[in-house]
Amino acid sequence: MHKTKTLQRLALATTLMTTLWGGAAHAVDISFFRFFGDCKTEYGEVTDVSKANGECGIITALTNKFNAENTIGAKVVTQTVDWGAYYDLLTATYSTGNIPDVAVMHASVMPNFSDRDLLTPLSKSMADLGIDTKDFVPAALKNASSGDEVYALPYDLHALLLHVNMDLMKQAGLVNADGSPVLPKSPEELLAQGKQFKEKTGKYYIGSEAQSAEGMMVRVFDTFQWQQGVDVISGDGKTASINTAEGLNAAKLVSSIFSEGLANAALDYPGSEQAFLNGETGILINGTWGVDNYDTQAKSGKVALKDYRVANFPQVYAKPAVWADSHMWVIPKDDSRSEEKTQAALAFLKFLNDNNFQWSRTGHLSVRQSVLNSDEFKALPHRAEFADTANNATALPQIQNQRAVYNAMITDFNAMWLTGTEPQAALEAMQSGVERVLRRNR
Amino acid sequence: MSANSLKAAHRRDVLAAYLFLAPFAVIYATFLVYPFFKGLWISLHDWELAGNYREYIGFLNYEDLWLDAIFWKAVGNTLNFVAMTVPTMTALALVLALAVFGQGRLKGVLRSVFFMSSVFSVSVVTLIWSMVLSADNGLLVPLFNMIGVKPINFLGHPTLAMPSIALTTLWWGVGLPMALFLAALSQIPPELYEAAELDHAGRFTVLKNITLPSIRHTVLLVLVLQIVGQFQIFGQAHLMTQGGPANRTRMLVQYIYETSFRDWQVGYATAMSFGLFILMLGFTMAQLWLGRKGDE
Repeated sequence: MHKTKTLQRLALATTLMTTLWGGAAHAVDISFFRFFGDCKTEYGEVTDVSKANGECGIITALTNKFNAENTIGAKVVTQTVDWGAYYDLLTATYSTGNIPDVAVMHASVMPNFSDRDLLTPLSKSMADLGIDTKDFVPAALKNASSGDEVYALPYDLHALLLHVNMDLMKQAGLVNADGSPVLPKSPEELLAQGKQFKEKTGKYYIGSEAQSAEGMMVRVFDTFQWQQGVDVISGDGKTASINTAEGLNAAKLVSSIFSEGLANAALDYPGSEQAFLNGETGILINGTWGVDNYDTQAKSGKVALKDYRVANFPQVYAKPAVWADSHMWVIPKDDSRSEEKTQAALAFLKFLNDNNFQWSRTGHLSVRQSVLNSDEFKALPHRAEFADTANNATALPQIQNQRAVYNAMITDFNAMWLTGTEPQAALEAMQSGVERVLRRNR
Repeated sequence: MSANSLKAAHRRDVLAAYLFLAPFAVIYATFLVYPFFKGLWISLHDWELAGNYREYIGFLNYEDLWLDAIFWKAVGNTLNFVAMTVPTMTALALVLALAVFGQGRLKGVLRSVFFMSSVFSVSVVTLIWSMVLSADNGLLVPLFNMIGVKPINFLGHPTLAMPSIALTTLWWGVGLPMALFLAALSQIPPELYEAAELDHAGRFTVLKNITLPSIRHTVLLVLVLQIVGQFQIFGQAHLMTQGGPANRTRMLVQYIYETSFRDWQVGYATAMSFGLFILMLGFTMAQLWLGRKGDE
C-alpha cells in the first residue's frame, strides 16, 4: 500500500514537471511548409543569420533565430518539401487535414488558392502587427493581393538574369572599356556574339536548363514575347497569344541558339549550374536566386569560375522586359487552427518581414522600399549590375492555373531542340495546350 | 432425414456461406465497388481537388479527352512502354529461372541476387539508375571517356529515354516473375524429364515439348500481371525524366496525376483513369481469351 502511494506521487510529480517544463520550452508549435532545400547539417544550429548563405541557409538560420529569440514561446517546425512536389503536397493537405500554419507560395500560384478562399486574409492582422503595407513596392503588394484584401506577405521579386564568366568573355573579346561584358541589343547581335564566343573559346556561349523539367527557356520565350509588346496571356486569363508572328520570332531565336551550337541541349538544372562553375559556359541564364551562391563559389577559389559578374537580361527587341515571379508567405486557411497558433504564425510573419534584408542577400530583390533604399542593401555585391531588373520585371497576369499553362508550354517548346520540331509546329502545339488549360479557368 | 431438416441444414449452410463471404464482400464493396461508381460520378463533374467547387457537366470530360493530344500521346507512350517491357520481362524471367533452377550453392546465391532488386522502393531504384545513366558524372561516363566518345545523356535523349526507363524497370521487376517461374518449374513431374532422357531428346526439344507446355498457365499469369502492372507505370518516368524530353516518356498515370494534383482537375483526371481502366481491361481479357483458347 505504502509503495503504491509513493508510486502515485512520483507519477503525479513527473506529469506536473513534464507539463511545466514542456510548457516553458514552447507553448505552441507551428508547422512551416517550404521548399528551398534542407541544409540542417550545415545550418541546423546557426542563429546568426549573417553567417548563412544561399536561400536554404538564410531561411534555416532565420527560423532558428525566431525559435531562439521569440518571447511568446512559439516554435516553428519546418517541413522541407522537394520543389517539384511542393504545390501538389500543399494542395493535398487541404484534403488530408494537415494544413500547415505558414507556407511559402509563388505569386503566380496564389490566385489558385485566394480565389477559392483557401488562404487566411491578412490585411487587418498586418495592420495590427505594424507591418506597413505601404513599404512594399507596388508590384509586390499587387502580387500579394486579390481585390482589396492582402493574402500574403511578399518576400522577394525574382527574375531572370545573366550570370557571366568574365574570363571567358575576355577571351572571346566581348568586354567593354569599363570592364562590363558586351551583351546583345538585337536578335542578330545575340547570334553573332554567340558565334564569336564559340570560335574564340571553343566553349558554349549560353548555358541553361534545357531538358523538360524546369522550363527555363519558356521564361526566355515569354521575355522575348513581352519585349515585342505581346502579352502571352491576356489579363482576364481567357486567351493566349503564343502562335503569333512575334511568337515565331521568339521561338526561332531560341531554336537557333541550340541549332547553331551556342548552347548545350543536354543540360538539366544542376548540370547547367555545374557547367557554369566549371568554366564550360560563358553565360548562365538563371534567376536572381543564384547570385549569392555563384559569388561565394567564385570567391572560394575552388571552382574554375573566378571572375563572376551579373547582368540584366538583355533587351533584344523594342521594349524592356524580363520574366519575374515573387516568393511570398501565406497562412493557409484552416478553420480548426487555434487562435494561439494563428498568433504565433503571424508573429513569425512579422519576424520574417523585419528580416527581409537577410533574404535579399540571396540575390533576390527586396520587396520593401526601405530595404531597397538602405545602404546595406546597396553595399551587397553585384546589385548595381542588375539594378534595372527591378524596373523591367514582368509577370504573367494573376490568373488561375499558371503552373498548368507553364507546363503545357515547356514540353512542346523544348521539343524544338530535343526532337527537332519546327518552331511553327511547336507554337501551334503550345497554343492549343494552353488554350485547353485556359478554357477551364473560371 | 426429413425434408424439413434437410431444408434447415441447407439454410444453415447458406447462412454459413454468407457469413464466410461477408468480410470479403464488405471490403470488396468498400474499396472497389463504391470507389468505382464514385469515380464514375466524379468523372461527370468539373470537380476540383481543393475547395468545394463541383459542377455537373455530363460527358464533357470525355469529349475533352477525345481531343486532348497529350492524352493520346501518353496512351501511345504507355503502350510503347508495355510493348517494350512485358514480353522482355517475361522472357528474361523465364531464362533466368531456367538458369538458376535446381540444386547447387551458386544457383541459390544467384536466385537471391536476381530477386534482391525487387525489394527496393521505386525512389531507390530510380536514384541508382539515374546515377548510372547521368551524362554529367554517371557510372558510364568513364567508359565513354575511355573509348573517346562524348557521354550520352540517356535520360535526356528523345529516343533513348524510354528504353532507359524500360531497362530500369526490367532490372527492378524481374525478380517476382522469376520466382513464379521457379515455383512452376518445380511442379513439373521429374518422370517426364526421365522419359525424355531415355528417348535421347535434345535440350531444346525438352524445353519446347515438356517445360513450356507444363508452365503455360504460369506464363499466362506472368503476362497478365505484367500487363496490369506495367500499364500503371508512374514512379520511374515521374522521377527519372518528368515525362520529358518533349513528352516522349509522359505516361498515362503520370498525366492523370498531373491533371489531378497539379491542375486540380479531379473530374477530368478521373475520366482519364476510366480510359486507362478500359485499356487494361481490354488487354487483360484478350490475354486470358488467348490463353484459354489453347486449353480447348
